[in-house]
Amino acid sequence: MKIIAAFEKTKELSYTSHLDVQRTLQRAFRRANLPLAFSRGFNPHPKLSFATALATGYTSEGEWLEVELDKEITPEDFIEQVNAALPKGMRFVRAFVADDGFPTLSKMLVAARYLVTLYTDPPVSAQELLNAVRAIMDSEEVIVEKKTKSGIRPANIRPEIREAEAISASDRTAVVAVVGTLNAAGGLRAETFARALFERLSVNGRFTAHRTALCFEGSDKLPRLR
Amino acid sequence: MNDRTLDMLLSRVEKPARYIGSEWNMERKEVYDFRFALCFPDVYEIGMSHLGSRILYRVLNDMDGVYCERCYAPWTDMEQALRELNEPLFTLETKSPLKDFDVVGFSLLYEMCCTNVLTMLDLSGIPFRSADRDESCPLIVAGGPCTVNPEPIAEIMDAILIGDGEELEPELVACVRQAKRDGVSRRELLLRLSAIDGVYVPSLYRPVFENGRYVRMERLCEQAPEHPVRRVVRDLDHARYIGRQLVPHMQIVHDRVAVEVMRGCTRGCRFCQAGYIYRPVRERRKETLLDQTRDLVRCTGYDEVSLLSLSTGDYSELHELLPRIIDDMAEQKVSVSLPSLRIDSILKDDLEKMQTVRKGGLTFAPEAGTQRMRDVINKNVTEEDLLRAVTDAFTAGWCGVKLYFMIGLPTETDEDILGIAELARKVSNAFYRLPKDKRGSGFRVTVSVSTFVPKPWTAFQWCAQDRQEEIVRKQQLLKTALKGVRGAELHCHPSVLSVLEAVFSRGDRRLNGVLIDAYRRGCRFDSWAEHFKPDAWAEAFSENGLTMDEYAHRERAADEPLPWEIVDALVTPAYLLREWNKAQEARTTKDCRQGCNGCFGEHCEDYCRV
Ligand code: SF4
Ligand code: SF4
Repeated sequence: MKIIAAFEKTKELSYTSHLDVQRTLQRAFRRANLPLAFSRGFNPHPKLSFATALATGYTSEGEWLEVELDKEITPEDFIEQVNAALPKGMRFVRAFVADDGFPTLSKMLVAARYLVTLYTDPPVSAQELLNAVRAIMDSEEVIVEKKTKSGIRPANIRPEIREAEAISASDRTAVVAVVGTLNAAGGLRAETFARALFERLSVNGRFTAHRTALCFEGSDKLPRLR
Repeated sequence: MNDRTLDMLLSRVEKPARYIGSEWNMERKEVYDFRFALCFPDVYEIGMSHLGSRILYRVLNDMDGVYCERCYAPWTDMEQALRELNEPLFTLETKSPLKDFDVVGFSLLYEMCCTNVLTMLDLSGIPFRSADRDESCPLIVAGGPCTVNPEPIAEIMDAILIGDGEELEPELVACVRQAKRDGVSRRELLLRLSAIDGVYVPSLYRPVFENGRYVRMERLCEQAPEHPVRRVVRDLDHARYIGRQLVPHMQIVHDRVAVEVMRGCTRGCRFCQAGYIYRPVRERRKETLLDQTRDLVRCTGYDEVSLLSLSTGDYSELHELLPRIIDDMAEQKVSVSLPSLRIDSILKDDLEKMQTVRKGGLTFAPEAGTQRMRDVINKNVTEEDLLRAVTDAFTAGWCGVKLYFMIGLPTETDEDILGIAELARKVSNAFYRLPKDKRGSGFRVTVSVSTFVPKPWTAFQWCAQDRQEEIVRKQQLLKTALKGVRGAELHCHPSVLSVLEAVFSRGDRRLNGVLIDAYRRGCRFDSWAEHFKPDAWAEAFSENGLTMDEYAHRERAADEPLPWEIVDALVTPAYLLREWNKAQEARTTKDCRQGCNGCFGEHCEDYCRV
């Protein structure tokens, strides 16, 4: 059977990489004594795949994954058993059993929501933040240097930004909610969006990103865009 | 440290997961009145792999009211970030500065990590020298195999722990805790500590130098023992083991369950410090090991188990234990590895069994190329043993083997170097002699060569290390000789590092100043070739009026006083001298499982009723 589940990742473990998360989950599943299904071959691996990866340093409220099991288990038991075996900083919050033929998560993924927090020096006002976000949304093109396999090159990220909203600005901390395209081919990175904002605000600083949701299409069991 | 500062630091470094803690099985305590910072002067991936620290973490946290936290050497990017933000180094559990602890204890596994100890003190605002610290500072202590020669760090440490730690550390903690309750002075505390078996308080002793050489140790106080005696856990079977092993998020060097099968080794290879300073050999019963293995696998979720010891192949019940553990673990899809197999203890059956689980790398350590040289170092392994073992392995499907050798050994001639290439050739031939359908493809014989470093408390503690030019020449000779050996690949460790290692392993108290000077000149992570600064070290030595040559390349006379003999490591200098003399005549000494060789002198019966 296949279980589809979402876990949250909080600040204790925000600096673990996607690979670290995979390792941690695999070990937690073993500790929880889950009836894992293993791949065949010389080096058997549990069948586990993620909707997408979360960048190192980010926190999240809902990272979705699918895992194959050899025996039946209820979603409630799954959550309870695995959570008891997870270190502080990771916790499953939702789970359901996928029917046969349920498409893979990465194929259904369409977007992601983030809260991006900028720590600016000097501080920016609420109005300045509002203007910067509006400037981005009103542009046809938002060019940002993007790291690709073939080096750093300019890229237009505007098409990947679906929505953006200034939330608050006080005490050198500015918060923006953004919805970006995200699918198997790629999509908006909170990091490039933050850089575009810093540029519009003409300030420097650091940022943190918190993924509030992954959005899917094609199943009402998964969070949707609207 | 607040979240925001932490985040600022973490966002600046390449591998932030080194500093976050929150691993599975990490100790979380609310109520405690005594804090111990268990420090490892190397990066997280290495420190987390260390078996001894894993045991101590558990032993100390098992003490009621004691909270033991961990701290590893910050990599250079984190050091820079801490300095820029003017933040102190912090522990993984509660992100507290080391200054807030009652005891800061370092595990010293190799000499080349000593500058990192200074980094960690420096980033904590703790003065380097014991004499410069007052009651407001934590007690700074060190343990680990390096402390069998405590002198090179004697001015830095308040107390040095010699030998097995699992009984010693809790005694130390109990003593410091009581002293804290009694409100005694630091001086009184140090006196009390010196009364614990296995504790060396360097400030109670003063080394005397004449004509630039160490001549004797003066005791500054009657109460201090004449020779602190190395501590030994007598009953390993009942000793505390790792228990709930920490499970890291990022990959570490030994990322698996480690089960300590036994401690000590009876082989008596004359170059091997571990072989001498972990004596006597103590085994765990196989039932205990099975239980511990199951237990560790269950509480960690690891899918790999390693059966550890200095020479697991010598474990007396290995052939009963191995099949049982392998079967037991195979059910849970857990693989079993033995990192230190000896040539003569591998049996074909075991090889086949191991292969069904996972085909790991195959390594052998003949250490020297000719039988004469192997007799000198008492590596009781013959060419036939090796060739039989590799042939078995090749037949069982392995097609790569790694051979470890040392060069620069006492009495070595060019013939011995050429012998290494000859042995590699025979191993290669053993592979190609097999019929094509019975052997794998892509054959490799990796010849890994390190430079011999004479170590204290070994039969070779008196001998001179080869000079660097000579080592380079020998490496070149070997390289040429290996040409034409099918599948051969040569790996030589840089020899510059081994000179410094030789200096510090047989150093005396004057090296404390050198160490501090080298640190001030930017020396860090000296065992990492890319960080090693030979020029800075050279300056630090000349600044202190010393030469590396004197320590590394000079043969000591048999009657010369040796600075490390302030410690009683149990193995007697008289025994080591006998071994040194036998070595020069290429005479071997038998494994002491076959009968006591008397290495503990008058203590033999007391410690080894084998
Ligand atoms: S077999 Fe020799 S080299 Fe290995 S641990 Fe024992 S004494 Fe040391
Ligand atoms: S005292 Fe005897 S039995 Fe014990 S370690 Fe030494 S030689 Fe071996």
